[in-house]
Amino acid sequence: MHRSRVSRLATIAGLTGLGCLAVGPLGLLVVNSVGRHWYWPALLPQEWSLRAWRYVASPEAGLIDALATSLMIALVVATLSVMVALPAGRALALHHVRYRRALVFVLLLPVLAPPLAATMGLHAVFLRLGLADSLAGVLLVHLVPAVPYATLMLAGSFANFDPLWESQARTLGAGSWSMWTRVTLPAVMPGIAVAAAFAFMISWSQYLLTLLIGGGRVITLPLFLVGFVRSGDEAVGAAVSLLFIAPTIVLFTVVARLLRET
Amino acid sequence: MTLRRVTIVCCAVTLISTACRSEPDAKRAALTAEAFARAEWSQVLDQARGSTVSFAMWAGDGARNSFFQGTVARAVATELGVTLRMIPVVEPADVVNKLLNEQRAGRVDQGTIDLVWINGENFRTARQAGVLWGPFAERLPNIRYYDPSDRRADFGTPTEGYEAPWEYAQFVFAYDAARMAAPPSRLPDLKAWIQAHPGRFTYPAIPDFTGSAFIRHVLLHASGAPRAAFDAGFDEALYARASAAAIDWLREVRPSLWRQGETYPATPADLNRLFVNGEIDFSMDYNPAFASDRIARGEFPATVRTMVLDEGTLTNYSFLAIPFNAANRAGAVAVTNYLLSPAHAFSRMREMGGVFPLMLEPLSPAERQTLASLAAGPATLPLEVLTQHRIREADVQYLLRFERDWRREILER
Repeated sequence: MHRSRVSRLATIAGLTGLGCLAVGPLGLLVVNSVGRHWYWPALLPQEWSLRAWRYVASPEAGLIDALATSLMIALVVATLSVMVALPAGRALALHHVRYRRALVFVLLLPVLAPPLAATMGLHAVFLRLGLADSLAGVLLVHLVPAVPYATLMLAGSFANFDPLWESQARTLGAGSWSMWTRVTLPAVMPGIAVAAAFAFMISWSQYLLTLLIGGGRVITLPLFLVGFVRSGDEAVGAAVSLLFIAPTIVLFTVVARLLRET
Repeated sequence: MTLRRVTIVCCAVTLISTACRSEPDAKRAALTAEAFARAEWSQVLDQARGSTVSFAMWAGDGARNSFFQGTVARAVATELGVTLRMIPVVEPADVVNKLLNEQRAGRVDQGTIDLVWINGENFRTARQAGVLWGPFAERLPNIRYYDPSDRRADFGTPTEGYEAPWEYAQFVFAYDAARMAAPPSRLPDLKAWIQAHPGRFTYPAIPDFTGSAFIRHVLLHASGAPRAAFDAGFDEALYARASAAAIDWLREVRPSLWRQGETYPATPADLNRLFVNGEIDFSMDYNPAFASDRIARGEFPATVRTMVLDEGTLTNYSFLAIPFNAANRAGAVAVTNYLLSPAHAFSRMREMGGVFPLMLEPLSPAERQTLASLAAGPATLPLEVLTQHRIREADVQYLLRFERDWRREILER
């Protein structure tokens, strides 16, 4: 009885602590985005203002357009990454692949290489192929860091997948479509969700790749974000940060729910 | 089989992306430096009319972005018939890297950036690699508003007409007049003040731009060498003397800095947070209007004021340059000329405050009157005070060497 109360208290304290760690910085951003005159020892800002949010919402700022472009690119990249990673992950996990570890290493190379060097090299290649300075190029180049992650995640999912389940479905008369939608896909769904979320995040946070390959024709949120955060305009920096974080929070809530359901 | 499929997909993607790209505008790409040198200004304006200029600039300030994408874009549209498009970048270095890659890949025209805001080291890199178009600056009608000695060199690198001077910056210190009535205004007094008030002063760590500018003041002033000596390119003996004195100065104040100088704020944002929270008594910035801007945004108390050193504080111009492969050179030249005009400087001051960047002598009486009617902001020093205390940046070698020595002698000791 006594012990359980102590452990419950400890649990509550622990959860509160974790909650503060997770929500604290976000709350700080919210207050920063609407506060004025916030100096020690005042606990809260002395004045409130929607200046930063009015700026963020104004069409002249271009931030809403950038947000829409970022979302579109990240969603397309997530979809394409999963489409490439599904067969690749399956092959890595289930088929006998020669030099498997070497292959995984090669797969990870774009992520392991120093980002600046990799970016410069990619830009040079894209220029030669005539893919630079276009939206299609940006979509393709975001796949370079996104696909390795998605593939490895799906390979992990397929490692727990028994291909005999598919044979069973076949024996029971399932066609390849219903075998795919009713057996294979549900079994690796959590992997797909996580892989898509990661690919989304990777695309979502690209700055230099987008600037170079998009050539300034494709303007995404990170192009603005870094400048704002480093400069002095704290309220606008906080508001743009929140704009940047919000979709990822929504995404991870959805993924977490999906994982709980399966 | 698979290889063929891959090839087909690649070809398809290439085709689609090429199709998506806007068609080259032969007329505008045709402006060469030679043609520009011969052309009448009105011909250039005719070529520019109806075009779009993509301007790569730092976009980390909301008020600034609103001003450029609103007021400036409208003014350029009415006066020149040009559409101004902003490309937000964090550092001009990113643009320079893009151009270097494009040069290597042989992409000599139809570049996506027409105009770039640049200075110092990035200009030097770009110029050495030959990725800028020009010379063009001396042909701009409005270049006459800038002092020839200001536009000749950018951190010691000769500009040679490959960039046009634009915005004026001067280093200032900020203090809260409600807390401190008479701040020390000479470097030796500042040292005495720091030592008498332990923990109340610090500066951002190198490689931060503002911190680097602060230690350059120590480099230029601590040895007592005449300022003019630094103007003649990099001098090894002078550097040895100046840096020894400066390192001594910085070492002597270090134990009295915030946290005994064991750590430094990483960015100006961190420095300003310490300042407004009353942990330190000075802030500093290379923008002479920064304190006024922050007062307006509610980030500084209204009692904050700025000051310069009696010995002078560093000034520089940032510049506008045109990439070697810019698709719309005529448009870029026309927009640059507008950005150098008194009209632009006035509208900038009206909307954002700040300091007038042009020489006063060429102004008409009406323009002088307009200037007199514009307020610089409550914490910004009068233009006369700033100009009386301006010193020019020395060769970039001094900067690079002293940043390295600071790391070795101050940070790592």
